[in-house]
Amino acid sequence: MPLVDSVRVAAVAVAIALAGAMPVLSQEGPLCPGDLDGDGQVTSDELVTAVERSLSGCDLQTVELRFRGRVGDLPFACGTTYENAGAAGSRWLPTDFRFYVHGVRLIRADRSEVALHLEQNAFQNGDVALLDFEDDSGPCSNGTAATNAVVRGQVPRGEYTGVRFALGVPFERNHVDASSAPSPLNLTAMFWGWRGGYKFLRVDSFVILDDDFPEFRVHLGSTGCRYGRPLEVAGCTRANRADLRFDDFAAARDVIVADLGALVADSDLTVNLPETAPGCMADLGDSDCDPLLRNLGVDPADGFPSPPTQKFFRVEAAE
Amino acid sequence: VISSLVRRAAPLGILACAAFSLLLAASSARAVEPWVWDTPPRFPLPKVPDDNPMTLEGVTLGRFLFYDARLSGNQTQSCASCHRQDIAFTDARPVGIGSTGEAHPRNSMSLTNIGYASVLAWANPLLLKLEQQILIPLFGENPVELGLAGREDELLQRLRDDARYRRLFAEAFPGVDAPITLQNLVRALASFNRSLVSHNTAYDDFFYRFDDDALSDSALRGLDAFFTEKFECFHCHGGFNFSASTTFVGNQFDEVQFDNNGLYNLDGQGAFPPDNTGILEITGNPADMGRFKAPTLRNVELTAPYMHDGSLATLEDVLVDHYARGGLLTPDGPNAGDGRTSPLKSPFVRGFSMSAQEKEDMLAALRSLTDWRFVTNPRHADPFQPAWCAADCDLDEEATLADVHDALAVAFETASLARCAPGDGNGDGAITVEELVAAVAGVHGGCE
Repeated sequence: MPLVDSVRVAAVAVAIALAGAMPVLSQEGPLCPGDLDGDGQVTSDELVTAVERSLSGCDLQTVELRFRGRVGDLPFACGTTYENAGAAGSRWLPTDFRFYVHGVRLIRADRSEVALHLEQNAFQNGDVALLDFEDDSGPCSNGTAATNAVVRGQVPRGEYTGVRFALGVPFERNHVDASSAPSPLNLTAMFWGWRGGYKFLRVDSFVILDDDFPEFRVHLGSTGCRYGRPLEVAGCTRANRADLRFDDFAAARDVIVADLGALVADSDLTVNLPETAPGCMADLGDSDCDPLLRNLGVDPADGFPSPPTQKFFRVEAAE
Repeated sequence: VISSLVRRAAPLGILACAAFSLLLAASSARAVEPWVWDTPPRFPLPKVPDDNPMTLEGVTLGRFLFYDARLSGNQTQSCASCHRQDIAFTDARPVGIGSTGEAHPRNSMSLTNIGYASVLAWANPLLLKLEQQILIPLFGENPVELGLAGREDELLQRLRDDARYRRLFAEAFPGVDAPITLQNLVRALASFNRSLVSHNTAYDDFFYRFDDDALSDSALRGLDAFFTEKFECFHCHGGFNFSASTTFVGNQFDEVQFDNNGLYNLDGQGAFPPDNTGILEITGNPADMGRFKAPTLRNVELTAPYMHDGSLATLEDVLVDHYARGGLLTPDGPNAGDGRTSPLKSPFVRGFSMSAQEKEDMLAALRSLTDWRFVTNPRHADPFQPAWCAADCDLDEEATLADVHDALAVAFETASLARCAPGDGNGDGAITVEELVAAVAGVHGGCE
């Protein structure tokens, strides 16, 4: 496509974005070409994607990011008890394992980033996807039978050498009416109404002691949220979203491992700070959260991303 | 024999008359019926969100849902388990106990005039709409209340399996293919909550119905004192709803107020017990330690025990041990400390001296806010209990020809079931001929 056409496409897309992504257009879908995910917004990501596509002659390729739920080196499975978990080497029975990601991008060798335009389905809406490793069986009985270990979407055909994504639900979609949200944002197990948003990550578990089975849960989302004028959530003092980036990743070759063992590696699962939630529910006063947040790549002090401390995700060659 | 025949025939005569008048009424398309408030003139009305208008059908559906134990994971509890009508929609416990037996850190709040609350719950500045708040008892996990997290499909299936709910949902939310959704369930529950308007107290008779004899001299003296700078009650419990966090139709600004009332002071710095830190839990701002909403005092006589944690057993304890002293003294135990010296305490909790007569007057004033009609009104009551009279379609405690007309209209499906829910004795979502005859016989017999 000649450059001048690309510029024209970009200009039109910019004009649409500036026009404020009129709801009437979004209802008509195809009338708003920049609104790739049909959410009534033309975001800057979508603009860039539109321009990228026009530059590449709209030659797209489907990319599937494969995730693996693990506990250490073992696959996560409902009903499995794992040995030697956490700082105290506990016997451990995880019973839920789900998290949202958004803003997935592939990275080129020149370090430029391209948004992955997600296929829209029950696990993917807009640019949000739910990874769900529990299958509702056995002790995971509060879950869903369906599981999801992939994020699928399209990018312009090309060479990509890395991947980047955020753990969590983006701010614009975190504080809406959950009772009418589309899948996968309509799962009540991921609702976090008391905090005015969603759980970004949900891990439930029991620690198997000789005489007791204490719960250990990790429910992470934004905290310290507040209203502005007009009355809608204007911000949160702790966003608690992680920014993950892997520079050596090829979707065809590699998988992204999410490792519960690494998540709790620095937590003594047998101890809970008195008068706090069992485990961590992202309460500001719960120091049990600190090692968990660090391992997720979130700074416990301010809720900002802290990539150097991140251990939860890693890239491995596909088995 | 003849008199027996007449007795048997009379209901049929009424039935025929009513059926005839129904045909004349020319009812056609079934639209939702706007909710009619029965408040006295000048009494403010609750704000209603544009996307969830108040309708007879929505309120009626919400009343069934509110009292239905199918709205808990293990089907042991309904909303009403912690919000009993006879005690102004509280539970008489210090703290609520959820469906799995888990104790809530806080006292079950009265739902009296909950539609006027500008902020819901004891201490969460994020909860401004009932439609948001309702998701918390349904799906909250810390603590578990109704225990439905992750079980929304099961919940909705339970309702879809019930013929009465199929009709109630379809009539409350007409024009959609599958009305039994989580959003509509929440909307209906919110509508029922908004219908819980209390305006039949002695106080209201005096101020809104101009009945000069409604209040005793003692209650009048107590109310005067309530609004003085000596007792300072009104700063946090002021206005027609006796709560600063109140809004209503015409109110341009939704006032939301949270205060530390000096109930605790664990560390000399104003600390509250760690599971009840007030809005600090949400905001993370240390200055918010111990700040809670001042709830409405309407029906306060019925809502013991008091405070966010149910720690004070009686109104006298509240008045004497706490507010007159200027903050509670907890002599020992994990919560030991003197709330009076809390640096975070509201400046209005200064303490006051109070004679025996002043105390009696204040208690009389508080009791003048009790609404006995509200706590017995069939419109707020459990619809799963047999109606006193199957023909009292509009739940006004009278069975009249108008009720028969409604029962007929429901039977012929020219009116929504909400027009005569009591007439559907067997709960199958329809008024059958047998149920109709029973209703008519009821009216004829005076429903006694």
